[in-house]
Formats: sequence, structure tokens, C-alpha cells
Amino acid sequence: MKQNKSLLKNPSFQAILTSLVCIILGLLIGFIVLLIINPAGAGEAITTILLNFLTRASGPAKMKALGNTLAKTAPLLMCALSICFCYKVGLFNIGAPGQYEAGACIGLYAALAWHCNWVVCLLLAAIAGAVVGAISGALKAYRNVNEVISGIMMNWIMLYLTNMVLTSKSVKDPTSPYTVKLSAGNPKALIPSAGLSSIFANNRTVTIAIPLAILFAILIWVILSKTKFGYELRATGFNKEAAKYAGMKEKQNIIITLAIGGALAGIGAAFLFLTGYQEWSTTQTSVPGMGFNGIAATFLGGLHPIGTIFASFFIQSITDGGALINKSVYPSQISDLISSIIIYLCGFVLFFKFALNNWIGKKDKGGPNVNDVPVTDDAAKTEGGDK
Amino acid sequence: MDAPYAIEMVNITKRFPGIIANDNITLQLKRGEIHALLGENGAGKSTLMSVLFGLYQAEEGVIKKDGKEVKINDPNDANDLGIGMVHQHFKLVQCFTVLENIILGVETTKGGVLQMDEARKKVMDLSEKYGLQVDPDAKIEDITVGMQQRTEILKMLYRDNEILIFDEPTAVLTPQEIDELMQIMKNLRAEGKSILFITHKLNEIKAVADRVTVLRRGKYIGTVDVASTSKEEMSRMMVGRDVNMVVEKEPAKIGDTILKVENMTVASKVHANNAVKNVSFEVHEGEIVCIAGIDGNGQTELVYGLTGMEPLVDGKITLCGEDITKASIRQRSKLLSHIPEDRHKHGLVLDYPLEYNMVLQRYYQSEFTSKAGFLKRPAIRAYSERLEKEHDVRSGQGPVTIARAMSGGNQQKAIIAREIDKDHKLLVAVQPTRGLDVGAIEGVHRNLIKERDNGRAVLLISLELEEVMNVPDRILVMYEGEIVGELDPKKTTVEELGLYMAGAKRNVGVAAEGKEES
Amino acid sequence: MLLLLQYTIIFASVLCLVALGGCYSEHSGVINLGLEGIMVMGALGGAVTMFFLPAGTSKFVIVLATTLFAILVGMLYSCLLGVACINFKADQTLIGTAMNLLATAAATVFVRAMNSSINPDNVSSSIQYIQEKKAFLKYIGGFEFSWFMLMAVVLLVVAWFLLYKTKFGLRLMACGENPQAADSVGINVYKMRWAGVLISGFLGGLGGIVYITAGVSEWKFEMGVAGFGFLALAVMIFGQWKPTNIALAALLFGLFRALSNVYTGIPFLANMNIPSTVYNMLPYIISLIVLAFTSKNSRAPKAEGIPYDKGAR
Repeated sequence: MKQNKSLLKNPSFQAILTSLVCIILGLLIGFIVLLIINPAGAGEAITTILLNFLTRASGPAKMKALGNTLAKTAPLLMCALSICFCYKVGLFNIGAPGQYEAGACIGLYAALAWHCNWVVCLLLAAIAGAVVGAISGALKAYRNVNEVISGIMMNWIMLYLTNMVLTSKSVKDPTSPYTVKLSAGNPKALIPSAGLSSIFANNRTVTIAIPLAILFAILIWVILSKTKFGYELRATGFNKEAAKYAGMKEKQNIIITLAIGGALAGIGAAFLFLTGYQEWSTTQTSVPGMGFNGIAATFLGGLHPIGTIFASFFIQSITDGGALINKSVYPSQISDLISSIIIYLCGFVLFFKFALNNWIGKKDKGGPNVNDVPVTDDAAKTEGGDK
Repeated sequence: MDAPYAIEMVNITKRFPGIIANDNITLQLKRGEIHALLGENGAGKSTLMSVLFGLYQAEEGVIKKDGKEVKINDPNDANDLGIGMVHQHFKLVQCFTVLENIILGVETTKGGVLQMDEARKKVMDLSEKYGLQVDPDAKIEDITVGMQQRTEILKMLYRDNEILIFDEPTAVLTPQEIDELMQIMKNLRAEGKSILFITHKLNEIKAVADRVTVLRRGKYIGTVDVASTSKEEMSRMMVGRDVNMVVEKEPAKIGDTILKVENMTVASKVHANNAVKNVSFEVHEGEIVCIAGIDGNGQTELVYGLTGMEPLVDGKITLCGEDITKASIRQRSKLLSHIPEDRHKHGLVLDYPLEYNMVLQRYYQSEFTSKAGFLKRPAIRAYSERLEKEHDVRSGQGPVTIARAMSGGNQQKAIIAREIDKDHKLLVAVQPTRGLDVGAIEGVHRNLIKERDNGRAVLLISLELEEVMNVPDRILVMYEGEIVGELDPKKTTVEELGLYMAGAKRNVGVAAEGKEES
Repeated sequence: MLLLLQYTIIFASVLCLVALGGCYSEHSGVINLGLEGIMVMGALGGAVTMFFLPAGTSKFVIVLATTLFAILVGMLYSCLLGVACINFKADQTLIGTAMNLLATAAATVFVRAMNSSINPDNVSSSIQYIQEKKAFLKYIGGFEFSWFMLMAVVLLVVAWFLLYKTKFGLRLMACGENPQAADSVGINVYKMRWAGVLISGFLGGLGGIVYITAGVSEWKFEMGVAGFGFLALAVMIFGQWKPTNIALAALLFGLFRALSNVYTGIPFLANMNIPSTVYNMLPYIISLIVLAFTSKNSRAPKAEGIPYDKGAR
């Protein structure tokens, strides 16, 4: 019993447990939907979604498909890291899509209009994202604007701004709504593959962006858990008042946090558009889903930078798996359905963990004490319970 | 209907784990009287009222209304019985008008549509009858605290409540507003309302109350007539326990001035007045100065101003000869250690392990952070282990224990260890023994005295009379944001202290003149 | 010019309805970021109803059934927000975002499955309602009047009346401003918040069907509702949570949206050569500026976004 309890107390175990519960429930609901649409192939379809590239016929085809999934996992992971990092400091960076758009905008513009090489494009994308993030941060710190609302507004402003900027001459392909292919416009701006593509059956979209993204995840983890800076930021996220008491600069930390989150999302965009995986559509009218899927990966990854690596891969993999199912019978958006159900369920995860921890550590709880009657005696009660 | 008591609480006992909050308490409120409920913080007043309001259920005892036993399971039951309360923190909707706040929950409607004219007429009638001046169309956020309180009173009257409870109603009012409130209470009594007046201010009890029931440490002390009882007697009833706690200490060896506060004024977050008004005092090397007073008289804000958590409205603070009035919290912390009042809110990051909390004030120093900005985990671990050992901080898993999982006593020991071990000249300890058991309290007191004997200046803020009488070398009493007296703990009595704390006695200016004496 | 007016009014109707939905929800204390998703679901409910109504159905029945189903589906969908955020105290931002993603995915899956079950070769995510849509329209001169415009006006007046003149409105707003105070006078905060969320489902669902019948007669559900839910959020903020201001804000932002659609047809504007993206962007920029300058003493309900916990005193 005692061992059981201490395992339940372990935050990593809790995170993995709850994430698995979400995944299983999400898949179950997805499976039920498939059953309703057509019972005959439902089992096969859900297997395809789960196995993704493994269902491909030959070895090279498998590797190529895996390469595609990995190529899109990298940007997703960066967006997830952006949200995860900010969440650790108590900020909900729903503005990640906007920072991602800014990264795409400047990254592609630098590549196609200024013919910069990929390193410069990447850096500019990071800076652009950071600036957009810092705007939300400054609005929060100095004007008390909720970062969620300003983030949403910035998402749309940046979407239209990006469409406008990338419509300019030499950037946009005159015959389609898309930007010019980098391979044609400026191959220098393509992120190098450094031999990785040969492992994945010459899949050119497999680049060093993938290992870089994983490095970023590790870096974020190191910053948050090993450095003085991370110590401050997390303390601010856990308990703003205690951070203030300890002399930390709360406002400055908010801006820096969102700027870093923005830079991560901006790099995420560079990791997609500078691999040549796809081009920016200048007529798109909705905020790219990458940033929002990052929320899913963040929460599914148990709000841990390393966890988000696996969660990002899982989400991208089921999305790609969805594209492989029999389209004449099942819609491929079934994977989006599953991942959005998983995000929804993640809302209950916080409650579940809270309830679990509350149940374990009930006696240590010093409840929030707002506007009410028994203030003094309550304190006595809480303390009395400590014994 | 002929029973003499409007409401009776007979032999009420309410226990919480490890503590008896109300131990066999009887409170009888006569119809048409103002009955004061007097007691220190933690005496059990709030618990008793919560039982009356159905927020808690008492284990023993009965509540009677007009002589008949009643069951009160939630606040709505209390409302139905005609019991109303003005909470210490008003329950008003800021952006609603006075009128809207009054009718909220008991609206007059015709087919769902609000009939404001009828309501307005009733409110204006009540307002006139009891002398409760309000502007029914003003928004709460635009009116004075006094008018907000009158709105709360009108809320009770609008509901035809017969039993009115005022919970520390004067805490947020200006002296003029207090006089007005006293008059209003008398008017209400004249109209036959029964009033329960929760307070710890003796002057106010003398001014309006007919009878007073005194609680102390959860126990019923007695009920007496106010007219025939002196303030001194009441004070003794409130605080008068045998002060048998002995704290061993040598006479203080007082040295240079460490802290000098001149004309400090700090704004309040709760009300429009300043919480700390023009306060001046000094603390010297090798002495413990205690700021005594009843909770909410500006002590919290005084500490905020001192430690840099709130800016000063006015005044100057000098620490070791350096003007720190505008210095940041971090700058001040070089010479100042601070054991905060609320260890959960300020003192600890509860989700951090113990070792991280141990370095909360020092994490950035080269001892714990490398030049590259990485935390020196082994150094932090070793430091934490040392402090735990030296200060007997116990926890389940040592340095890696999450602070939230530790007992309150050990959390406090950890904070004290951290603050005492770091470099400092002045230690500000705010209610350092709050909620601790006897053994732990002794340990804290020993630490404070050791600090003093090591030549530090100690500023102790305490609500506990035993502590105030035994630990410090000098007592400053705070009342309504001002220092109203300076006392020598060896020469004063608990009763005298009680009079100062309850605002019944003051000696303005002692802070300045008393310096020579000490 | 008439086209501009027509587009402005129909877009303003959508924005006004949905923003009022957000307004109810936020006044009860629940931030509804899932408005976009609720609109998609309402649109789906309405479109499917029109799709399945037999050809000869009378205009009145079409209007009634379509509207009712859009509303019903919107309300059902808003329950996801209510359960998670009121009963389980989940993070309102997270749940709202999930609802937006879920709605588009679910609607696409549903429409595709529906289409291919009728005709195995049809794997599109579109629903057509060319004939049925005409039921909503009445031509007054060259102006295409939609019954939805009238509905929007009526519901606007109802919202103003309900919020400011009735017991319900007073109690609803008390829950969003100071739930502890509301509770202390015997108001059931959970019930009132549920009411706020369900009404936002009602209006969001209705807004959804109005949006997809404005101008077009076919809707591709993969597109969601193209950010109109978020634009409505901006309308609500710009309207400072007050029905009358929301109506004006909706007209202004509706005008911007209409301009981006039709400005090329107006010589004066076409000459100015402002890209349509600018018109699309303006509402968000304006809202952000308004926020920056008002949020220090914002009219936003004070307790919004904070789950109410009766136990926590």
C-alpha cells in the first residue's frame, strides 16, 4: 500500500499515466466513430492510424514515410516547446501560432527576397517570433492584458500580415497562391540534410532540423531544471508572490519568457518552411494548426520538454497515419478528431492530477483564502491539521 | 415568542483535527440588545459565527431561535431565520449600483422583469428610518468604504433580518465613519433589532454594547454587563491567562542603530486609507524589538514597506546607515532577512523541493550558481543538508522532499534556518510561531535570542501576548496604523498591554522620546 | 455599394450574435474561447438539416427547422465547455482551444462520412444548400434581405433587456463579477454559469448557420468558420461586454470584413489599392489597442476565467 502510494505520488509516473489514459480514451472514441462509419474496416483503419509508416509496403517506403513524419514532427515539437516553456512560467502561450507565422514570414522573405542562407533565415525567424512574443509579454507586464487574448489577436494579425508580405514579387509564385519553392528560388536557404536524407530513402525533407529540434527540447529542459534562469522562471510560475519575496523581477521575466517562447515557435516555422516540405499559401484564411497542435503535444507530453518529444511524434504520426487509411471509406481527419479529443481530455488531466495530489497531500494544503468569514480560525485549523 | 432570547447557541463544541476551536461555548443574544463578542485572534469567534451560519456543523450543542431549536445547514437556512451578517470583507458586486446590490437574490419582479421602483422606495424608507445614508444609484466601486458598509447593512434590513451580525465592522473605517456606525447600531437597536458585534476593541464595546461575551482560546470565559464592567476587567478576561512561559535570556547588550524608520506611511490594499501612518522607530544591534498589536492594524503593511514588497507613500528607511527607501527587495536582502507572515504565500515555493527552498534568497550567489549560470546542485544539496541538520528540519526524503509535503512546523523551521543562515544585520520575523506547537515555538524563540546575542537587530511582529511579554527587550504597540505606545516588557503587565492593543490607551510620541529610556 | 451594405449587415449580424453569445458566457464568469467551434457545429447542424429536408418543404418550415437545429447542436456542443470548465474546473483556455480543433475535425469527418455513404465516390467535405438557402432571403429592390438580420436585431434587443432589466441578468452578471457575493445571497453560481454557457451555445450555433448562408450556398467544412469566432471575440472586447456597444462594434468590424470581400467593386476604394488583408487585420489591431489602453480598468467581468469553487472560502 505504501509503495503504491509513493509510486502514485511520483509526478513523472502521474504524467505518463494520465497521458496514456487520454490517448487510450481518444483512440477509443476515434475507433467508435470509425465503427459507426463502417464497421468492416474500422479495426484496420485504427491500426493504420497508429502504425503509420510501418504499414508501408517496403523497407525504403517505410523509411521515407517515417522521414516525412519526422520532418513535420520537428516544427510541431518547436511549437510544443514554446507552449511548454511558457506554461512552466505560468503563461499560456496561445499566441504560438502567431509567433510561428512571424517566423514563416520573415524566414521565407529573407530566403526568397534577400537570398540569405539558411542560418540567417533561421535566426531572423527566431527574432521575428521573439518580437511577437515580447509584444504579448510587454502588454501583459505593463498593460495588464491577458496573454491569451493578446495572443489570439496576434495570431490573426500575423496571419494577414504574413499573407501580405509573402504576396510580394519574387517571393510568391505568380502562377499559384503559394510562395516560390526554395529549391528553385534559393537553394542556399534550405536547411542542410547532412546525410540524414540518405538514411530515409533520400527523403530531402529530412534535415538537421530534426536533431536540432530534439536538441532544443533538451536545451529547454536543461535551462528549466539546471540553470539559475530556469530556477527563477519556474519559481515565478509556481508562486509569483514567493518569487517577488525572493527579489526576482517578475515583469521582466514575463517578457523574456514570452520572447523565448516566440523564438521557439519562430524557429518551428523555419524548420518546416526551410526544409522545402511545403510552401506558404498566401491565401490561407485560418491560423495554421501547427501552433494549436503544439498545445496538444505540450499537455500530452505531461508539460515536460522531453515528454513533448514523444508526444509530438505521436500526434504527428497519427495525423500522417490518418492520411493512409482508405479514403473512400474513412475521412483522414479522423486523426485530427482523435488528437483534438486528446487535448480536450487533457483539460481533465490537470483536474485528475490535482485531485490525486489533493487526496495524497490533503493535510498539507493551505487553501487559497479569499474574501470570507473564518479567516483567523481557518489558519488555526490548517495548522492544527499539520500535526 | 415570549422567550427572552432572539438567538441562543448553547454548549457549542466544534473540533478540527488537532484543535478544539469551540469548546462548550454558550452565547445568548437578547432581543433588542447589542451584544459584543470579544476575543483575541484565534479565540474561536469566527468558528462560532460559521456554525451559526451553517458553514460548519457543530459536533455538540444546539441553536435556538426564539426558544425553539433550529437546524442550520447552510447560509440560506440562516437567512430564512432572519439572521444577516456584515462580513469583514464586503460581499458586494463592484460594478453594480447600491440598489442592485441590495436587491440581489431577493429581487421583486413582475414576469421576470425587475421592479426597481418598488425596491428603491423600500430602500429609501429603510435608509431614512435608520439614518443610513446611501446613494442608491451610485456604483459600489465609486463610493466610500463607509457607504459600502451601509449598503451591506441595508442588504440585511431589506431582507427583514432581525438578527444582525457585524464582523469586525470598524477595521476598515475612518474614526468619523466609526462614530457614524456606532450611531447606526444604536438606531437599529432602538427599532428592536438584535445585534451581535464581533470585535476586539474595548472602546467600541464600551460605546455601544449592552453585554459582552468573552472567548479565549476556544473557551467560554463569561458574559458580563458592559456598563458595570471596567475596560481593565474586560481586557483581563480577553487576555488574562497565567503568563507562565519562561524564556531564558541574558540582558540585552544594545549597540549601534541598525534600522531607522522615519515617518513611514504605506497605503492599504483593502481600503482607501493608509494602513501605516507616519510611523517612526529604531532597532539597535543586540536587541529584539516587538511590534505588538491585534491583527490588521497595519503590521503586515509595515513589513511590506520595510522589506520593499510595497512602495512607501512617504517616509525614509535607513539600514546600517544606508538609505534603502527606494532600494529593491534584492538589494535590501543583503542586510535584511525576512521571515514572512504567510509561509505558503511568500516564504516557500511549495512545489519546489526543500533544497531549492533553502537557497531561495541565495540561489544567485556564486556559492550556488556557476559563472555560466548553472545551478551548483551538489553545493545546494550540501547546504540544504547542513541547514536541515543544524536546525532539525525533518522531512520525508530530506533535501528532495517537495515543500508542500512537509509539516507546517518543519516548513517554518526551514524558512527560519534559511533566513538566519544568510548574511544579515536585521532579522524581520513576522509571526514566526504562528500555528506551531509548544516545542517548535520554544525553538523559534531560542533562535531569535541567539540572533540577538550574536549582535543582530531583531524586529519581531507578533500577535501572541505570551511571546510579546517574554521574548523582546522592547515593545512597540501598533493600533490602526500608528505606534501608540512603547513599553518595557519587564515593567508592564498583560492588562496594560491589552489596553494599548485595544486602543483604549495611547501614549503618542513615546517612540521618539522613549529612546533615551531604553 | 448596395452589395457592400448587404455584406456589412449580414456579417455584422453574425458577429453580433456570436459576440452576444460570448457576452453571456463571460458575464456568467466563463471565458468561451470555443465560440469558433460552436459556430462550426451550429453551421453543421443547420446545413445538414437543409440537406435532408425534402425538396418541396415550405419556406417557413425550412427557416424554422434549420434555425432550431443549428441552435440545438450549438447548445449541445457548448455542454463540453460547461462540463469541463464549470463542473471539473478545467483550464478554460485549453478547453476552448480543444473545442475549436475538435469541431472542425468532427464536422469534416461527419460530412465526409455522410457524403460518401450517400454516394461512395463523393469524398468532399462540402454540403450544398442552393435551393433551401433561398428560403431565408427576401429581395427588397436590389437588397438581399435575410431573415437572419431580423433575428439578430431581435436577439440583440432581447440580450439588452435580459441583461439589464431582468432578475436573470442581474444574477448572471453577479456570478461573473463576484461569485462569492452571489453565493452569499443564495444564488446558485454553478447553475447561472451553465445558463451563460448554454446561451452562448445557442447564439454561437445560430451565428454559425447565419455565417455559412451569407453569400455562399455551399460550405466546405474543412475550413471551419475561418476565424469568425475569434473575430466575434474581438467584437465583444471592443464592445466592452455591453450589448449596445457590441452591436456597433459588430457593424464596424462587419464593414471591414465586407470591404475585404467587395472593395474591388467600388472604384474609390479600388483606387486606394489597400490589400484586402489590411481590412481583415484591422479589427484585431483595433481590439488589441483598445485592450492595451483599457485593461487597467477594463469592463471585463472580474471573476471570468476563474473556476468557482464553493468549498474554497
